[in-house]
Amino acid sequence: MSEPILKVKNLQKTYPNGVQALKGISFDVKKGEFLVIIGLSGSGKSTLLRCLNRLHDPTGGEARFHEKDIVQLTTAAEIRSLRSKIGMIFQHFNLIPRHTVLNNVLMGKLSTTPTWKSIFGLFSDTDKAEAMKYLKLVGIADKAHIRADQLSGGQQQRVAIARALTQNPEVLLADEPVASLDPATCHTVMDYLKKVNQELGITIICNLHFLSLVRLYATRVIALKGGELVYEGDPKNIDQAWFEKIYGEGAKEVHIN
Amino acid sequence: MKTKSHVFRRSLLDGVSFALFVSVILSIIYSPTDEDLLNLSMVSTIFLGSMLVGAFISHFLNQAGYKTFGENLFEPAYVKARAEAKPWYQTFWGWHLFLFILVLFIVGLFKTKFSMYELLDEDGFEGAKRLFKGIFSPNWQVLPAAVLNIVETIFMAFVATFLAIPFAFVLSFMAAKNIMKHPAAYALYMFIRTFLNVTRSIEALVWAIIFSVWVGIGPFAGMLALMIHSIASLTKQYSEMVETVYEGPIEGVQSCGASKLQTIWFAIVPQVVLPYISFTVYRWDINVRMATIIGLVGGGGIGTMLIKYQGQAMWPEVGTIIVVIAAVVWIMDQASAYIREALK
Repeated sequence: MSEPILKVKNLQKTYPNGVQALKGISFDVKKGEFLVIIGLSGSGKSTLLRCLNRLHDPTGGEARFHEKDIVQLTTAAEIRSLRSKIGMIFQHFNLIPRHTVLNNVLMGKLSTTPTWKSIFGLFSDTDKAEAMKYLKLVGIADKAHIRADQLSGGQQQRVAIARALTQNPEVLLADEPVASLDPATCHTVMDYLKKVNQELGITIICNLHFLSLVRLYATRVIALKGGELVYEGDPKNIDQAWFEKIYGEGAKEVHIN
Repeated sequence: MKTKSHVFRRSLLDGVSFALFVSVILSIIYSPTDEDLLNLSMVSTIFLGSMLVGAFISHFLNQAGYKTFGENLFEPAYVKARAEAKPWYQTFWGWHLFLFILVLFIVGLFKTKFSMYELLDEDGFEGAKRLFKGIFSPNWQVLPAAVLNIVETIFMAFVATFLAIPFAFVLSFMAAKNIMKHPAAYALYMFIRTFLNVTRSIEALVWAIIFSVWVGIGPFAGMLALMIHSIASLTKQYSEMVETVYEGPIEGVQSCGASKLQTIWFAIVPQVVLPYISFTVYRWDINVRMATIIGLVGGGGIGTMLIKYQGQAMWPEVGTIIVVIAAVVWIMDQASAYIREALK
């Protein structure tokens, strides 16, 4: 629980239009922790996660994953190999609507399947068995042969978790995983993330909006404001003063139960 | 940059309208012969010269507060929004536009040799009556041949569409801006776009003439012409679909470590496949109509049969052919509309 799996140092991202989304951010992520990133919309949370698996290209600083600097990766093969070790789930699930649930989960095996085989849908039996195993883990195995767009939001997010798990990742990035779900479903999805974290030992870095959820699930929290890191520590230590510092004066906490 | 291009467009339009006025006035004064008008270098010098003068006049008029038609049309939207509403006859540009259209129409009447006399001429009218009488009493003896020929036309269109699909499918991704972001890829994108635009601006009819020389007159030439045109058109329509896909599934598949090809196949293709089929069915429908026209220049099928009987003034036979074409076009049109509706 102590050795850092990811060391981020002075990470910067400036978009081509001149917007400075990340203004030099430094933090460590320890192996096996459930790190939550909080902050207002536009504070750079999503950009930060996307820089870590190179969906976005950082413009400065470094981020070491197993001593290898993510920022310095240039070839497509290197970036693919990085992504295969870092799974990701999204606010809008980002499944392929017209494909079956099982097919969606098998996307997690794209990086280890030759392109031509994957295009003809020739995934190996062990891959399929693994996909089914993770569908069972998120309690949705009975829906394996249904089209993904027939599922509810919470179910789609669980499929997305299974897809990420099928990659056998060391780290799972979660970008606002419950922001488009209703409060009840919200906890189901967060509980599965907790299960993944505790039972499979996968390190989780998760963007969240609701502080009540942060206190319930995070082992550590960092806060971003305007592209800068303004808080790092235990979720229980975020008091009213910190809250106002992160979310602006006069902000009120909304509880979700 | 924006104001600059607006001034250029304004000058061009006002220049053309002024050059038109000058040309008409010169024609009235000097009444040039056909031979004079064929002197391209002289005519173009006068026209381009007047355009230049017109552009300057337009510039000074606008400076002096008289808004020309070109200025009114091309001025930036925020300026347009501020302008007070006045009836057109109280504005300079209104009269400018009025005169422009009036002169265009009058010149057009001369150019198309519009003549009430010809339209109502007794001999001509009799000829038309004979023709209509022939057409409305079709000679059903040529029906089997007409059916056989239109089947050839339908298959020409089908094979052309079918062969165009794989080319258009592959090219469509290379002609989509959101996929070709990398500088080298962007260069290829620009090349393909330009190439397709040039290909598409050459009418299928012209392609048919080219291919009928190349492979000989007949349905094969017509099919090739339609295929080339279909590749260019389908690629454009397909690639526009690719440019409007949702980013979400792309990010989702990419985050799994997918290669470029895998990303296209799993995240983009499922999103575009239905519109692709829809466009393709519609293209077949269009191709059947085009194949008829292409037949007129030797592309085979019903068009070639039509031009043969028309050349011999065998109007009852022509009537039969027209009935067959109309029926097939109508059926194809309906069928493709139903299929496209079902695919939504």
